[in-house]
Amino acid sequence: MFYIHQTTCISPQQTFGEVNIKVLNQPAGHQLKVIEPTYGGIPPGVLRRMSKAVRTGVGAAIPFFNQSPIPDGIIIGTANAGLEECFHFLKQIVDYNEGLLSPGSFVQSTPNAVAAQIGMLGRNKGYNITHVHLGLAFENAMTDAGMMIKEHPANNYLLGAVDDISLYNHTLNLLAGWFKAEAFAAGELYELNSPGSIAGEGAAMFLVNGNPVNAIAQLQAVGTVHADDVVTIEQQLKHFLHRHLPAGEKIDVLISGENGDNRLQKYYASCEKIMSDEAGILRFKHMCGEYPTASAMALWLACHIFQKNPIPRHMVKKNLPQKEFKNILIYNCYKGAQHSFMLVAPG
Amino acid sequence: MGRIFITGMGLISAVGRTVAQNREALSGGSCGISSPELVPTKYAGILPCGEIKISTEDLRHQLNATETGTTRTSLFALHAFEEAISDSRLTPGQLTSFDTALIGGSTVGGMCLTDELYRDAQQTRKGSAYINSYDSSAVMMYLQERYKMRGIINTINTACSSSANAILYGARLIKNGLARRAIVGGVDSLAKFTINGFNALHILSASVCTPFDQDRKGLNLGEGAAFLVLEKEEDIVNKKLYAELTSYCNSNDAFHASSLSDEGDGPYLAMKGALDLAGLAPGKIGFINAHGTGTENNDLVESRAMLRLFNRVPPFASTKSNIGHTLGAAGAIEAAYSILNLYHQEIYPGLNCLIPIAQTGLLPVESYKKISLQHVMSNSFGFGGNCTSLVFSKS
Repeated sequence: MFYIHQTTCISPQQTFGEVNIKVLNQPAGHQLKVIEPTYGGIPPGVLRRMSKAVRTGVGAAIPFFNQSPIPDGIIIGTANAGLEECFHFLKQIVDYNEGLLSPGSFVQSTPNAVAAQIGMLGRNKGYNITHVHLGLAFENAMTDAGMMIKEHPANNYLLGAVDDISLYNHTLNLLAGWFKAEAFAAGELYELNSPGSIAGEGAAMFLVNGNPVNAIAQLQAVGTVHADDVVTIEQQLKHFLHRHLPAGEKIDVLISGENGDNRLQKYYASCEKIMSDEAGILRFKHMCGEYPTASAMALWLACHIFQKNPIPRHMVKKNLPQKEFKNILIYNCYKGAQHSFMLVAPG
Repeated sequence: MGRIFITGMGLISAVGRTVAQNREALSGGSCGISSPELVPTKYAGILPCGEIKISTEDLRHQLNATETGTTRTSLFALHAFEEAISDSRLTPGQLTSFDTALIGGSTVGGMCLTDELYRDAQQTRKGSAYINSYDSSAVMMYLQERYKMRGIINTINTACSSSANAILYGARLIKNGLARRAIVGGVDSLAKFTINGFNALHILSASVCTPFDQDRKGLNLGEGAAFLVLEKEEDIVNKKLYAELTSYCNSNDAFHASSLSDEGDGPYLAMKGALDLAGLAPGKIGFINAHGTGTENNDLVESRAMLRLFNRVPPFASTKSNIGHTLGAAGAIEAAYSILNLYHQEIYPGLNCLIPIAQTGLLPVESYKKISLQHVMSNSFGFGGNCTSLVFSKS
């Protein structure tokens, strides 16, 4: 589908600038929050008015506009960028009984504010789109990027995802039972055998194009499924692998979206079951928490691994991959209803 | 690559609950903008809106939508979706096929329940029945679940051009072989949230909007939904062909979060890009369904962009003078209107424009006309500089 040439990631771990994911940062209370950089590339006056999702999204994107090749378009996946501002505005409406309100939060309450700000600061008048389909927002953005590159083979695109924890989306998800109520250490996430995960957030950006030369990784395929029965998902995964995995090859490493929610474990178990015994199995949600576009963090990690960086112990569930390997499968599931598969190979 | 045609449409707006009712209303120059009676806001008597005069409960009952947590937005979407799939005679097998995509645009989503959302977000113990319905993806998830759809499902939010981009995206899925057919559209319902938001920006008019008039006072918000069924030429047997979806372009104005640049680079590039993709000379466009919100900024900039691109600006009008600005639904509703223009070879008058804008001198179409049309352009521009133009052609 496309080649990945550069990446950035702002996450709860040390992933932006000087990367060090060997040390595992712990959650603060019930949440894994991003380490925000100083945002050197954003004018201070503009930065002050940005919500957190816009800040992290734009912060992760700006480096791409200061180096060649400059993106020809911007394709973002986000489920809840803008929600924080949306609630600020809601609160104003209620507190002032629909009185005289300041429009700042309203303007920033739309999820396309991230792609729009990137376009504005990067002076980019090309294709600009925001996919918001919840747990598949990033996957749909990836499909879009794949199509754009097929349609415009010489172009470069900024593909990315961002979601943040705001007080309100945290409350809504907690009420709906998607987060564990108790506090725990990051390493314990997979051991608690209880419903719910841990809230997380992050932004990851990728420069993608059709050029294999010096690429970090190749995204071979992305697949999405809306279903909640394990059998359908397993069938779809097998079909996906049959269709996209080159003949005679197997999955060397599975990056699993396992998130500590025991209600979702059956999906991840069924995916692990169809891997070979030698396949390495890695997990990442203890690093970034659960959020609708967390799979972008997994793709960033796949790229990081393909750049010959060591795989930290805390990611390994089974078989730390020792030697050269080729095919990484990312399987992620959001709230049991939306599932995605990504097949990634070295560049 | 084969051509893509529209084989079915569904539409609900303030001037009609079916495609046929909408056509009749537009032909007669009807205006559905009135004092809101259903959306709970203190601006009800002050700011007119394109409100659909059916209560959410009646709509739910009429559609037999008994699922918990369905919002007014989801119900409008269902209403238009059902009309579109029945118009196109899609079979249940086609609907659940892995190669049928569903792509929708929405900005308000479940936030039409502004007060409920606020209450839920303050709760500490138990959420309401709507707790999973607020996301803007909730509408497409609802349709997907109700019809057990299995192809690519997507929600796009580029503010007021959301559903124009949903149409563009569905067409590209088909062209890239990722879907065989796509049901594409958009929906939004009136909300205390958006009424207050646009009011805070001082761009809502206290009277019925007057797109492209020198003395325009702003926009009126509206609500509604539209869906189109897109199919590949080679798959279509014995079906009504409303029009061909010929071309599209998405460009960004990269200027300001909530207003367009003076020269209108975004609108210009979107319109020009759509012409270029189809290899059409500007003179081939017979009519433009303009974005034409009725705000100071949009109408002037859109006029300038049209003057920049066209030697002679083709006949144009804004149907926002009939139904208000339906935000995330606008692109799809106006696409359906453009398709009606082509299918019936007629153009509908833009209402309430008396004096053309001094700087540009452009006057929208003033009366209903039968006219020979080959290509119609539909413009949608949104906050964040998100501009998209679509071109439909006579089938």
